Amino acid sequence: MNNFSVLFQKEWRENVRNFKILWIPLVFLLFGISEPLTNYYLPQILNAVGNMPEGAVFQLPEFTPEQIVMSTISQYQFIGMLLVTLGFAGIIARERKNGTATLLYVRPISYISYVYSKLFIMCILVIGSAILGLLANLYYTYILFGTVDAGAFMGFLGTYIVWLLFVISIVLFSSAAFSTGIASAVSLLLVLFVQLIDGLLGAYWTISPWKLPMYAGEILNSSVDMTLFVWSVIVTVLAIIILLVGAVYFAKRNVSKTKI
Amino acid sequence: MKTLLHMQGLTKEYGKEKAVDDVTFSLNKHTSTALIGPNGAGKTTILSVLAGLLKQTKGSIVFDGEITEDFRKGIGFLPQYPKFYSWLTALEYTEMTAKLSGVDVKIARLEAEKTLEFLGLGDAKKKKTGTFSGGMKQRLGLAQAIVHKPSLLLLDEPVSALDPIGRREILNLLKELQASTTILYSTHILNDAEEMMDQLLFLRKGKLVEQGSMREVREKYANPVYKMYFSSSEEAARFVELSPWSARQENSIAFIHIEEAKPLMNEVLRVLSDSNLSLSKVERATASLEEIFLQVVNKG
Amino acid sequence: MGFESIPWKLILPLVIIQFILIIVAIIDLIRVRDTNGPKWLWAIIIILGNMIGPIIYFIVGRRNE
Repeated sequence: MNNFSVLFQKEWRENVRNFKILWIPLVFLLFGISEPLTNYYLPQILNAVGNMPEGAVFQLPEFTPEQIVMSTISQYQFIGMLLVTLGFAGIIARERKNGTATLLYVRPISYISYVYSKLFIMCILVIGSAILGLLANLYYTYILFGTVDAGAFMGFLGTYIVWLLFVISIVLFSSAAFSTGIASAVSLLLVLFVQLIDGLLGAYWTISPWKLPMYAGEILNSSVDMTLFVWSVIVTVLAIIILLVGAVYFAKRNVSKTKI
Repeated sequence: MKTLLHMQGLTKEYGKEKAVDDVTFSLNKHTSTALIGPNGAGKTTILSVLAGLLKQTKGSIVFDGEITEDFRKGIGFLPQYPKFYSWLTALEYTEMTAKLSGVDVKIARLEAEKTLEFLGLGDAKKKKTGTFSGGMKQRLGLAQAIVHKPSLLLLDEPVSALDPIGRREILNLLKELQASTTILYSTHILNDAEEMMDQLLFLRKGKLVEQGSMREVREKYANPVYKMYFSSSEEAARFVELSPWSARQENSIAFIHIEEAKPLMNEVLRVLSDSNLSLSKVERATASLEEIFLQVVNKG
Repeated sequence: MGFESIPWKLILPLVIIQFILIIVAIIDLIRVRDTNGPKWLWAIIIILGNMIGPIIYFIVGRRNE
């Protein structure tokens, strides 16, 4: 555990000094704020752009607050996930490739601490940013569209955090097991591509980690099927555990691949 | 003398390729041992196994009296091209490595400062390692290897990337360190390091082909060479012509190599008196380590 | 829509965040040794790329050491 705090301090310093601690929260905040704003002012924006035919009446659907929160989530699910997968695919693999990890691996470090220091910093950056962004989103939605039930929002947020933890575990596992390039491809595939597949063909099954963001939205609307939701959470938590154990295993196994 | 490490029959295979083949040697405490061999002889592989980066296919290592898989706590390792986190300062980096090597967190910073001072990086300790020059990186590499006072220091080509001045400085530092630790290092630059070799291990294609102290190896391989100084290059050439031994000439000096250890001086004198050559000086020269190296790695 | 009717209080945070992102991206661009593709091109993308310019830079342009 002593190792952990030293290794975590290193991760912290890295992410402060390369500005990730700044720009990742800002990106999530940006989408959290802009989504309600653009939806609310869309008619005016369209008017201002001025390419509406004379006399056309542009009828926008009335959005519920819940719909605004969910449309923010769909932004996070694309740009946010792209940022997480590509931004962190090298978190272990890159250290091996450029040889900086060599001087860690020759020391009596525990690989559990090593992987967990990376997990921890990713959680702070990714989950912290998402919470920050969604709270700002909630505030703007409240001002422009009305209130969201606090209990439902907490349930929604909790579910989305489990999903984010799943994504983080995928990226961490890939980076421990593969090179940066392959880790990027595998993470993209497992997060974005499978999500797409689940969206297209997912009507045939109901229990899947990739359905968690959808269930999160249903919690917000209080329309979720609890059994399916709970089972999906259980499956996801199991997957997270397996991925993390795998990440530690591969981080240790791939020590010999570090550049000397 | 006490043994710090004994390696028995170490073999490392990559598929069918044997990078290290049945290597056995011991390191005594407070001695320096040089691993000598051409590129690809297996030097780095042996060091990597000892550093815990690679697992041997066969063989055992006894460290400080224990048969053990993991003795990373007791070693310091300097790779040939050490790579640091460019966004950490030298002090932050050394402090971190000290803590990870088990130095008490309360004194880690102090130890790191002392080590950097000792290696002449005191003024640069607050600078990011990304701005360091090659020589400074080598010193920082050494700092992280010694900050926790390891009982075994593993150095992979510690001086080959440096200019002659830097090389001398690092070698002097290593000599100082030898008082408190045991050093195993690989090299292919021999003459610079001659004073730092209590034991020599010659490697060729993964096999240990020769080992011993400097004196033992010298005696075994250095056929005596006699340097005969003549008054002119013509005379030297004449002597080479008359000489029944293998001989060569360089300006006014003739070199004779006598295969058997017994130099037949009488024979030499007879040739001289018969030919009326005027010899001004004779010197017995020892073959340089470089020459021994070539002999050892080229044999068999 | 008149100038006064624009809800500046709501939009201002968005503008500030956007501005900080651009500044951070530009500072990073100056400091970082290598980018994927020429630096001047990334400078244009960051400044003129609207909301996602800096984001594209951070995801794609930044080459980690």
